[in-house]
Amino acid sequence: MTLNLCVLTPNRIVWDSEVKEIILSTNSGQIGVLPNHAPIATAVDIGILKIRLNNQWLTMALMGGFARIGNNEITILVNDAEKNSDIDPQEAQQTLEIAEANLRKAEGKRQTIEANLALRRARTRVEALNTI
Amino acid sequence: MACSNLTTMWVSPKPSLSDSSSLSFRSVLNPLPLPNHNTSPSRSSSVSPIQSSLRELRDRIDSVKNTQKITEAMKLVAAAKVRRAQEAVVNGRPFSETLVEVLYNINEQLQTDDIDVPLTKIRPVKKVALVVVTGDRGLCGGFNNFIIKKAEARIKELQGLGLDYTVISVGKKGNSYFLRRPYIPVDKYLEAGTLPTAKEAQAVADDVFSLFISEEVDKVELLYTKFVSLVKSEPVIHTLLPLSPKGEICDINGNCVDAAEDELFRLTTKEGKLTVERETFRTPTADFSPILQFEQDPVQILDALLPLYLNSQILRALQESLASELAARMSAMSSASDNASDLKKSLSMVYNRKRQAKITGEILEIVAGANAQV
Repeated sequence: MTLNLCVLTPNRIVWDSEVKEIILSTNSGQIGVLPNHAPIATAVDIGILKIRLNNQWLTMALMGGFARIGNNEITILVNDAEKNSDIDPQEAQQTLEIAEANLRKAEGKRQTIEANLALRRARTRVEALNTI
Repeated sequence: MACSNLTTMWVSPKPSLSDSSSLSFRSVLNPLPLPNHNTSPSRSSSVSPIQSSLRELRDRIDSVKNTQKITEAMKLVAAAKVRRAQEAVVNGRPFSETLVEVLYNINEQLQTDDIDVPLTKIRPVKKVALVVVTGDRGLCGGFNNFIIKKAEARIKELQGLGLDYTVISVGKKGNSYFLRRPYIPVDKYLEAGTLPTAKEAQAVADDVFSLFISEEVDKVELLYTKFVSLVKSEPVIHTLLPLSPKGEICDINGNCVDAAEDELFRLTTKEGKLTVERETFRTPTADFSPILQFEQDPVQILDALLPLYLNSQILRALQESLASELAARMSAMSSASDNASDLKKSLSMVYNRKRQAKITGEILEIVAGANAQV
């Protein structure tokens, strides 16, 4: 019995195949999903998604969205998703530094909200490279 | 005897010939209409009789030929890009279908609850943000102009209603327009690039999101060009925020379209010509669905869903805008190529007549010279 995982973004399907197990970061913490999980719907935070295929773990950076876990069918809808193999380490580090600088420069409620979001995204991408 | 006869034969029609030849000269040049085409090179558009040499005409014909090659190539490139834009829309369908399904399910299960999500909050409107989507390059007919005119009209309306406004401009053409008009407050200049992806939509969504949440604006409207057909595109205004919890797309006049209905356009060939077919389809929303348990508060879940919806709306608008721009460019370049070939034809005719008249003139001179020696 394997799980079927679908990761969808507005402009393409990032992942659509069977997996053994996933670990998902939600707003209320990380949850692990094994086959025959109870059906739940959850919001997905800006964070890491770990996928296990036959004892090999794959990491993906997700930029926030929603996940629906049904009868061995997981559908994750996110704004953007990147496999850690697709992320350029230097570029991710630079984006992180720019985001931190922007947050320090931010004035007012609005700019702070934007800068915070950008920082979280950049941080997630760098983390995705660092975890296995 | 025979010789003198021959020479007289040549001599007598000579004056009449030369007269008629000069007459034919003028009659050839005058009725030449030479309309002002878009692609006419920068030289003078009217052929001044006798002064323009054969070489000038030949150069002009060559430059028109080159221009036609360029416009033809641009048309084919635009046609190829329309196909790609269409593929991008098709790729985005699984996402929006699933999103709509989930939204429906959640709304069903939350019927009785009072949902209070920040993105759906309706406040009294004091300031409106306009997101204006234009193209990056020119040579696309009236595309950019239509959208900008619509934006200006909407700004006047808002001013008439006494509302404050700010503009978020997406696209180089819009950016340069608003840059030259400092009296219009612009919040941010963004660019979509050749193919709008989720990243660009995210940038616009972030800006719009923060403007709305921080209560700087109370309403966000999206101005883009809706792709109706290859020759027709319509600038439309959609209300982006506040969202309705059911995910309806509302027009500025309040006409709402159900989110489950989607329109797709397809570039196909009919009778050998490129046409576009639009089809409306309704996302099948299953009546029966497993009762999902919510890991978090339903409000939090909606909080996560609605930004996704916002993103996909913005991305769709960018994609449709791009498709309309490409279609406008296709038709503009196609008519430019047609004009160029017409111009080339008429110029070639003038060239040939001139060339023949010149040859006839030379023959006459030779004959006259030969006669004078006799």
